[in-house]
This record gives sequence, structure tokens and C-alpha cells, in this order.
Amino acid sequence: MSRFFATGSDSESEESSSAEEITPKATGTAFNKQNLLLSDDEEDTKRVVRSAKDKRFEELTNLIKTIRNAMKIRDMAKCLEEFEQLCRAFLKSKAIVDKEGVPPFYIRLLADLEDYLNQLWEDKEGKKKMNKNNAKALSTLRQKIRKYNRDFETEIANYKENPEQSAEEEEEKEEAESGSYSESEDEGEGVTAKSFMKKKPAAEPAPEASKFLKGAADDESESDDDDDDEIWGSDSTDSGSESEDNEGNAASLALAFLKKAQDGDRQGDRKKEERKRRSKRKERAEEEAEEEGLEQEGGEWEKVKGGVPLVKEKPKMFAKGTEINIPVVVKKLNEILQARGKKGTDRAAQIELFHALAAISEENNLGQGILVKIKFNIIASLYDYNPNLATFMKPEMWKKCLDCIDELLDILFENSNIFIGENIAEDSESLAVSDQPFRVRGCILTLVERMDEEFTKIMQNTDPHSQEYVDNLKDEGRVCNIIDRLLQYLENKGSTEEVCRVYLRRIMHTYYKFDYKTHRRCMGIQGESKSEQDQEESEGEDSAIIMDRLCKFIYAKDRTDRIRTCAILCHIYHHALHSRWYQARDLMLMSHLQDNIQHADPPVQILYNRTMVQLGICAFRQGMIKDAHNALLDIQSSGRAKELLGQGLLMRNMQERNAEQEKIEKRRQVPFHMHINLELLECVYLVSAMLLEIPYMAAHEFDARRRMISKQFHHQLRVGERQPLLGPPESMREHVVAASKAMKMGDWRTCHSFIINEKMNSKVWDLFPEAQRVREMLVRKIQEESLRTYLFTYSSVYDSISMETLAEMFQLELPTVHSIISKMIINEELMASLDQPTQTVVMHRTEPTSLQNMALQLAEKLGGLVENNERVFDLKQGVYGSYFNRDQKGGYQQKQGYQRDSDQRGGYQQRQGYQRDSDQRGGYQQRQGYQRDSDQRGGYQQRQGYQRDQKGGYQQKQGYQRGGYRSQNQSSY
Amino acid sequence: MALRREPASGNSLDSPVKQIQIEGLVVMKIIKHYQEEGQGSEVVQGVLLGLVVEDRLEITNCFPFPQHTEDDADFDEVQYQMEMMRSLRHVNIDHLHVGWYQSTFYGSFVSRALLDSQFSYQHAIEESVVLIYDPIKTAQGSLSLKAYRLTPKLMEICKEKDFSTEGLKKASVGYENMFEEVPIVIRNSHLINVLLWELEDKSTVADKHELLSLSSSSHLEKCLQMLMDRVDEMSQDIVKYNNYSRSLSKQQQQKHQYVQRRQQENAQRQSRGEPPLPEEDLTKLFKPPQAPPRMDSLLIAGQINTYSQTVKEFTSQNLGKLFMAEALQGQGS
Repeated sequence: MSRFFATGSDSESEESSSAEEITPKATGTAFNKQNLLLSDDEEDTKRVVRSAKDKRFEELTNLIKTIRNAMKIRDMAKCLEEFEQLCRAFLKSKAIVDKEGVPPFYIRLLADLEDYLNQLWEDKEGKKKMNKNNAKALSTLRQKIRKYNRDFETEIANYKENPEQSAEEEEEKEEAESGSYSESEDEGEGVTAKSFMKKKPAAEPAPEASKFLKGAADDESESDDDDDDEIWGSDSTDSGSESEDNEGNAASLALAFLKKAQDGDRQGDRKKEERKRRSKRKERAEEEAEEEGLEQEGGEWEKVKGGVPLVKEKPKMFAKGTEINIPVVVKKLNEILQARGKKGTDRAAQIELFHALAAISEENNLGQGILVKIKFNIIASLYDYNPNLATFMKPEMWKKCLDCIDELLDILFENSNIFIGENIAEDSESLAVSDQPFRVRGCILTLVERMDEEFTKIMQNTDPHSQEYVDNLKDEGRVCNIIDRLLQYLENKGSTEEVCRVYLRRIMHTYYKFDYKTHRRCMGIQGESKSEQDQEESEGEDSAIIMDRLCKFIYAKDRTDRIRTCAILCHIYHHALHSRWYQARDLMLMSHLQDNIQHADPPVQILYNRTMVQLGICAFRQGMIKDAHNALLDIQSSGRAKELLGQGLLMRNMQERNAEQEKIEKRRQVPFHMHINLELLECVYLVSAMLLEIPYMAAHEFDARRRMISKQFHHQLRVGERQPLLGPPESMREHVVAASKAMKMGDWRTCHSFIINEKMNSKVWDLFPEAQRVREMLVRKIQEESLRTYLFTYSSVYDSISMETLAEMFQLELPTVHSIISKMIINEELMASLDQPTQTVVMHRTEPTSLQNMALQLAEKLGGLVENNERVFDLKQGVYGSYFNRDQKGGYQQKQGYQRDSDQRGGYQQRQGYQRDSDQRGGYQQRQGYQRDSDQRGGYQQRQGYQRDQKGGYQQKQGYQRGGYRSQNQSSY
Repeated sequence: MALRREPASGNSLDSPVKQIQIEGLVVMKIIKHYQEEGQGSEVVQGVLLGLVVEDRLEITNCFPFPQHTEDDADFDEVQYQMEMMRSLRHVNIDHLHVGWYQSTFYGSFVSRALLDSQFSYQHAIEESVVLIYDPIKTAQGSLSLKAYRLTPKLMEICKEKDFSTEGLKKASVGYENMFEEVPIVIRNSHLINVLLWELEDKSTVADKHELLSLSSSSHLEKCLQMLMDRVDEMSQDIVKYNNYSRSLSKQQQQKHQYVQRRQQENAQRQSRGEPPLPEEDLTKLFKPPQAPPRMDSLLIAGQINTYSQTVKEFTSQNLGKLFMAEALQGQGS
């Protein structure tokens, strides 16, 4: 927790006696040096570089501190948590431990903790008082530590044997701690104060504070500074965690400065401090030397001085008077770069450094090459700023990033003699201003792609119903702009692959947008003046043309399958969105994507699903109901449309997937502005299902083997039927169900009013760009299908019906009615003929009545039953046949005769016998008669046996058994 | 009145009851009970009271079971019956339990539940019968009341709970001899008879003759529908049985092969002078598959039979009516 504690245990682990002197070493020395390097500019952040071992051990000691504190306040839950962390941390430092041996302080903690836990465990009273959480944690922890300690048995035993040594250390530690403790106790409740302090560092990103905390720490450890007040105390506790926290702290200079101003009242103290510090610096230097000596003796701690404490030096990047030239800048750049990705690196500061470097190089006119290189690095470090892949960029970072890329592109456009590429080796770069073109390593395309991904991430993580989302969405224009510029740039300079990639980016930003401009133009504002049209045209290419051009290029040039697949899908989507149904369909069919899409990765599959849905909706708009239904079937029937389209996660699956999967799935979500309206999708599906299913149901009312066209539609119907009270429909689904019911009766007007009304318009139909046309199409379809349904349902009631009447009933033109009825007759759906002169449909009335239908069905079923029964029969024979093959006496013959019998091939007599028997299901007498009949060759004996069998004697002679079986079977036949 | 002759009188030779005599009161009470409580496919049930005189069972009274509702789950039926009978005894009415009655929907009564409860009745009180009242037929104009008993063979099977194929085969029980029908006579006291005569004299001619209604299709449709359902069930049952016998025969074969192999091996070993392999328990090695109980299919077959009978009866009646109507029309025109 605090530097003090940390150092305290540090010192324990070292067997050396001078704990207090060593304490500040790690930080203090670094600090010193930095101070020297640093001009008086105190506001700067500080960077501490330690060896890996130092770092690891410090981590451990910090954790141990926390555990000890938690132990003191009996906070078992905390203890457990920290212990787990400790174990993990220990595991991480395995390499070092292997080298150095298990650090004694670690063993000590383990031993202490176990003792402590056991003691707690024994204390029944205390346990009772514990709250549930703690009690639970206690038992868990106890078990854990028991198990864990098994690995360290010898060490712990050693420690226990040899407690004096550690006691000694304990004393030291106590001493070390006492300082800080007394402070915290001064503040009152030691415990709360501590926990308070713990929180504090996270809350205050004060690099400046930490810096001079370190100073304070030094002072204290030297223990010549007893009069430090509470502020110092608490601050100093911060410092420990500060060093590890500072990577997370966005410690900008300004902030630090502010902080300082706030702390104005501390100024006095600080000044004093500074003075002291300065005077002490010399001492410190000596101490350092001493320490180093000690270390060598101890051999355990090794300090790395070589690490680059770059950040410190940045403001004065170059010593005064140094001639600033390219090699120097590059060297500096590399220096900064080396810190990249390291744990303690302050990324914010790094970005600042890059900016400063850029400014310097510009100042000194070092040429564009170096500038480009620096810019590359700035953008890269901006991306690096977020260590976690899942989190998204902060808005200001994002803006900065956009600006940077813009500038970079500016430079690249202005200077055509700059070559950039990923494969330019570091040493073959030429940055110097010369006749030769610049060569810079770096890939602008990757940067832009990353930028695009970041944009998606930002959109994913913004609440889509907030103003913020709109604001963020405004950046889309800039993103597109950048992609466009990059596209131009790469078209001139890039390789085909790169062009393909950037084309895909462009496509991805185009395919889902409806081109209103073109739409309006097509919708017949042709009447307007030509000049206006020209103007419009000059504004920009048709998105269709752009898509076409880009996609075709990709089809021709791309060699990676994925880009092509994406391009095709986007192309289809775009076609479908703009109601170019045939192009879209042909492309879909020609690409054969349907066959192998299941092998693609999830994002592509999501894109495929989106495309299919769009295709279906397009078909619906064109009035191709069947196609629409087929395209939407897959997505809708699963009931997981939301998930399949990447527009949200289903609650239901929450238990099934773990947090990791959920994160991955979240990353796949499509940003809100690209969503397809799910209600529209469902409505389109249900309406097309209705238009298909209702006539079909009417036509096959009595068909036993009728299948459902759409399960989901039936489900909705059933749900509708289950409702005890039917009010006027509210939701879209209820509307469709109500309309279906009306259509079933052939009542197209009601159906129409349910499908197209104010509510449905606002919910669904108005979402189409050509709403009116779609509505007209729908009305037409409803009329036609209602007519068909009507004819199917009520044809049995009519002898004949005039087509004129039908046309009037359904508000259709006579030719249409004629064609519909003709089609039905041709398809043998309607048993009727047309009487031309009178324009009447004459029903043949050959449809069976419902009773007849039923009887037919029954006959069919009985047929099946008999068939099944016969199969049982055959099987029986088979079994007995194989069983009897061994004694082929009369029994076998009998069986053969029987078989012949059932096959109807047998002799007349036998068959007769069989038939007679099957006719007369009655009693024993007849059966016996049958037996005599079919059994002509079997002797009297056998019959006798059979009779005996009937009476219940169960003799094991097979022939009898069969007789018994046969009679049984006969009777049930 | 449905007076029926025993089709195979030999079957019920050893049965203690050869005839059933029902008081008009009981019939009226049963009809009333259904009228009041039963609707649609719901079934009403009640207890029959009476006594046995020689080989004749006289049913002199009855009372209904109260309709079950979800709320009174703790309702004790037995308690209720005892209470009821005690009360009846107090007012000097026959209180001997001689069976039960049940209404039926389109003649669907051959079920497992009926079998079980009739078995328990007949097990406890030997002369018990079950009266089946068909309200739909009654509504069509002819009172339909039938008395059934389980045959002694079926009783035995039920006692042993052996519903396997072998068990049924051994007892030679088919669907046609599961139940025996006992002829019913309805008897009224002379006073009531007199009253009836008088009423008949006084009453005007009824304007509705359900008996003569010509409509048939809806009834037939219903019957066919139910028949079809049963046939479906039967098919499934057969398929199940089929699978069973197939797996059984397959296993037989395996077993056989195994035994043969064993024998061969043993013979070889013997020739080589080695001791034969130890005997293994074949039943453990080859567990016979679970045989499907045959009782259900038997019941279904019985039910199908009843349906067919009903349909047959109905159609023949209807045909008669149609001929009659035709003749009448011919006369009229």
C-alpha cells in the first residue's frame, strides 16, 4: 500500500540490517538522477525505471502489505482477494523466483497468514461475530492457503524454526512502519485512514505530488525529518502505489500544475523541503554508492541504471547547443520508442514527447521525411494509449488522431517524393533532405484501418439514443473523407492489395447508405431544369456507380477470399437497398455464397445475414412474395434475428456464455446507425407468410399431409387464438394475425384495413423509401390472395359464380380475375371450368365432402396399420424360421405353407383356410378348423399337441408353440 | 331400451351375475347427473347401490361423485362415499356398493383408467359392474345404457400384473374377451308403470322426434375422427412392438453366434488339452430389451372395436331412416 510498507518488507527480505537506508534506494536514486537531468522544471512527470526483479518484488511486497493490513482489520474478504492476486503475481514472477529463490518475505507472509487464519478459525466467538461475507472468505482462504503452503513446506518450516532472525526483521519493520503508523494514527482511526489512503492514489492523478512524495519518503527514511505533517504522511502513502499507478494516470502537465496551485498552502513546506533536498543531494549520492556496495554484498538486489528515464528529459530534449540534425532526432525518437509498451511508461507523456519532437524537427527544418516518421509514431502511440483492446478511445484522443492522420495525409499529398511502406527496413530509410526521395517505414493504410475500427468501437460503445451518438456520428464524414483521400493516394502509389483493402473500407462505409440523391433524381424530378441536374451530378458520383467500380476492381484483383466475399455481400446489399432486385439476386446466386458461408468467420456471416435480409425486403418491395419469404425464412425461423444480424445480444443466452464470449460477441455488434429495423423485418416476413400460407391452408384444409410453410406464422396465429379476449390489434403482430383471420374468410377489405392503416404505416411501411408503391403492391396482393382463398374455401357452396361478381367483390379487373382463376384451374387447385359466353366459373363439385375426406384419411391410416402389422408378422416368421431351420420336419412345412398363404401364392386350400379364419374372428372352434385346414400335411399328433397347448399346457415342442402363436396372431389380425 | 343378448354366453358361465335389473330411478338419476354436470367430453361418475338376488344384480339406487375441482385437493372420496352410504342406510335405502357408473363421449370408454378402477371394484366386490351411459346416443332418441364386467381371465391377468405378450397369450385374452356385457332390464314398480301409462295417454304427440333425425354427417365425422386417433395410436404401438421384436431377434442371433463361437473355442481348447473356458452368464451378457406392455394395444383395439360397432349401428339405423324418408317423399310427391 504505501511506499513505507513496501520498503519495509523489502528490507526484511534483504538480510541486510540497514533496512532504512536501503528503502528509498529504488525510487530515490532514480529520482535523484532525474532531478539532476531535469532542469528546475518540477512540473514534469517522473519516471522510475527499475529492474524486472525490483518491479516484481515490489508488486509482491505491496500486495503483502495490503494483506497484512487486511489481517489487522480482520477484513477476510479483502484478504482473500489480495491473496489471490498475490498468488498470481507470484506466479508471474516465477522466472525471477527461480533464479533468486523464494523471497523470504513471501514465506513469512504465508506462515503468518496461516497462523493467523488458524487462530481466527479457533476463535469461535469471533467467527460468529463476523459477517457472512467475511466468514465465507475466511473458510475459503483457509483452505486455499493450506493447499498453497504445501508447496512451500520446507521453507515455512525453516522460517518457523528460525523465527529470531525474522523477529529481528520484524523489529526493523516495526521501526519502519512506526513512522507511518504513528502518522496515520495521529489522524485518528488508523484503519480507516489507511483504507482512505489506499483509495486516494487512484483518485488523484498527481504526478507532481508523487514526485515530491518520493522526496518526502526519502526524507522520512532518513528519519531526520520528524515534523512532517499529515499531508506528507498521507501523500507518502500514496507514493507507493503511485509508481505502479502512474501508467493509468493521465498525468498531463497542466493537471500537475493545477494541482500545485491548489496545494498552495503546502508551498511553504515544499520549499523547505526542496532546500533540504538540495542540501541532501550530495549526501544521497554518497549513500547511493554505499548502497551499491551493500547490494553487491547482498547480491540480491540489482539496480538497473541504464533504463531510459526519458520522459523526464523531454521538455529539454536536447542539450543546449547541440546541433539538431536528423540523426540526433532519430536517435531521440528511438529512445522514446523504446519505452513504448513497457509497463511503467506514461503513454500520455509519450504522446506529448512525440509532439514536442515534431515541433522541434519542424522548427529546425529537418524536412518532411522525419516529420512523417514522427507522425506515424504519434498515431501509433495514440492507438497504444488504450492498452485494452475492448475499450474504446476517448473523444479527445479520437479527435487528435483524426487530426494527425489528416495532417499526415496532407504532407503525403504535398510531397510526392515520400515513399512509405511497411517493408522498408529501418536502416534503409532515408530521411535526409536530398535529391533522393524520402523513404519512410510505416503503413498509412494500417493506421487508417485501425482508425476505422476505433470509430466502429466508439459507435458501439455509445448509447445510440443520446445526443452523443449523433455527435460521434458526425465524425463519420471525416472518416469517410480520410478514407477517400487515402484511396486517392493509394490509387497512385499503393500496390493492388493495398488498393483492395482501402476499397473495401470505402465500400464498407457506402453499402448501407441509401442514396437519396439518386433516388430523388430517379423518382422523376427530371422535369426540373437541366442545369440543376448537372449540378447535382457534379456533386458526387452515384453511390451505385462507385460501388460498381470498387467492387469490380476487387473481384478482378483481389487474391484474399475474405475481401472479395465482403465486397460481394456489400454489393448485393447495396443493390437490394436500392431495389435492384434482379442484379442483387443474380449476384447472390452467381457467387455461390450460400453454399459455403458457414465456413466464414462470424463478422462475414453477420454481413451475409444482413445481406439476405435486405434481399428479402427488396423482393418484398418488388412484390415477389415467395422470394421474400424464402430469403427471410432462415433468419426469422430461428427466432434469433437480433443475434444473427449482430444487433444485440439475447438475454436468454446470458447463462450459456461466459464473460469472455460475451466480450467477443459485443465486439461483433453492428453499430446502431447500420441496423436493419427488426420490426420491419418481422412484419415483412409475417405478411409474406400470410400471403402464402392462408390460401395454401384453405386449399389443403383436409389434406392429412399438409405441411406448414411458415412455422413462425403459425405460432403467431396460435398465440392469437389463445387470447381469451380479442381487442382491437395493438402491435404489428396482432395486426397481421387479425388480417390473416380476415383473409381466411376472404374478406379483403378488413384484411387491407388491418395491414395498412395509420399504426402500421408509422411502424413499418413508412420506413420504405417508396412507401406508396409498396402499399399499392400490398393491396393488390391482398386482393388476389383473398380471391384465391375465397374460391378455395367456398367453392363447394357454389354451383357457378360469375366472374364479374368476383371482380366486383375483390375490386379487381376482370382480366385479372380471369387469369387467377385460369391459373387455379390449370394447377388443378380448383375443380371448375370457365364458361366463356356468360363469363362464369362452373364448379364441378368433385371435391369430396368432409366426411368423405375423413373416410379417405381413415382408409389411408388403416392401410398403414395393416402394413405395420404385416411387418410384425414377417418378423415373427423370420425369427421362427431361423429357429426352426434345424428340424425341418412337419413344422417347417407347416410354416412354409403358411408363408405361402400370407404371400397369397399358396395352394388354394390353404389360402382358403387362412381367409376363412381371418374373416371369422370368433372362437376356438373355427380356429381349430383352420388349423385342420392349413395343417393338412401335419399328422394327427401335431394337432393334438396344438389342442393341448391351447388348454395351457406349455410343451416345448416347437410345432405347438407355433400353433399357439399363430392362433394368437390370427385373432388379432 | 337397450336390451342386449349375451353374444357368447359360454364366457360368463362362471360369473356370479347374469342379469342386471335397474330401477327406473337409477336411470333417471344418472341422466340427470350428466345433464347437470357433464358437458362436452367431460365425464361424470357415480356409485351404484343395490343387492344380488340369485344370479341377478338389482341396482336400486345410486349417487354421483362430486365433480373435482382444483381448490379442494384434500377432498377424500372414500370418506365421502362412506358418509353417503351411511346416510342412505339411515333412511333405509339399499346401501350395498355394487359398482359404479360413468358417462361416455361418443363411446370412448375403453381406457386404462376404466380397466383399473373396474378391476379394483371387482376385486373387492365380486359382483360389481360398470354402467356406461352414452348421453349422445340418448339425445338422438334411444337410451343407451350398458353394463360391463371384466372377464375372469382378464381379472387374473390384472391380478398378476402380467401384461407381457406371453402372459396375454397364455391367458388367451383378446380384445373381444376383455369385457363381458351383462344384459340389463329396467324395472319399474307397478305404480310407476300406471303413472306412465296415464301420462302417455294425456300427453300430446311430441313435436320433436330425435329418433327420426336424418342428419348424420357431424356425428359420423366425430366418430371417424376419434376412430382415426385410435388407429394412429395403434399404429404407433405396433411400430413400437415391431422395433422390439426386431431388436429381440437380433439379440437372439448374437447370442446364438456367441454360443457357437464359445463351443468352437472350447472344442479347440480341448483338442489342445487346455481346460475349457468358464461358463458365463448369458443373460447378463445379453440383456433382453424391455418388452412393451401389450395391455395398451389391447385396450386400443377394444376401443376401436367399440367405435366400429357404434358407427356400424349408427349407419345401419340411418340407412333405414333414409329409406323411410325416401318412401315418405315418394308418397308425398
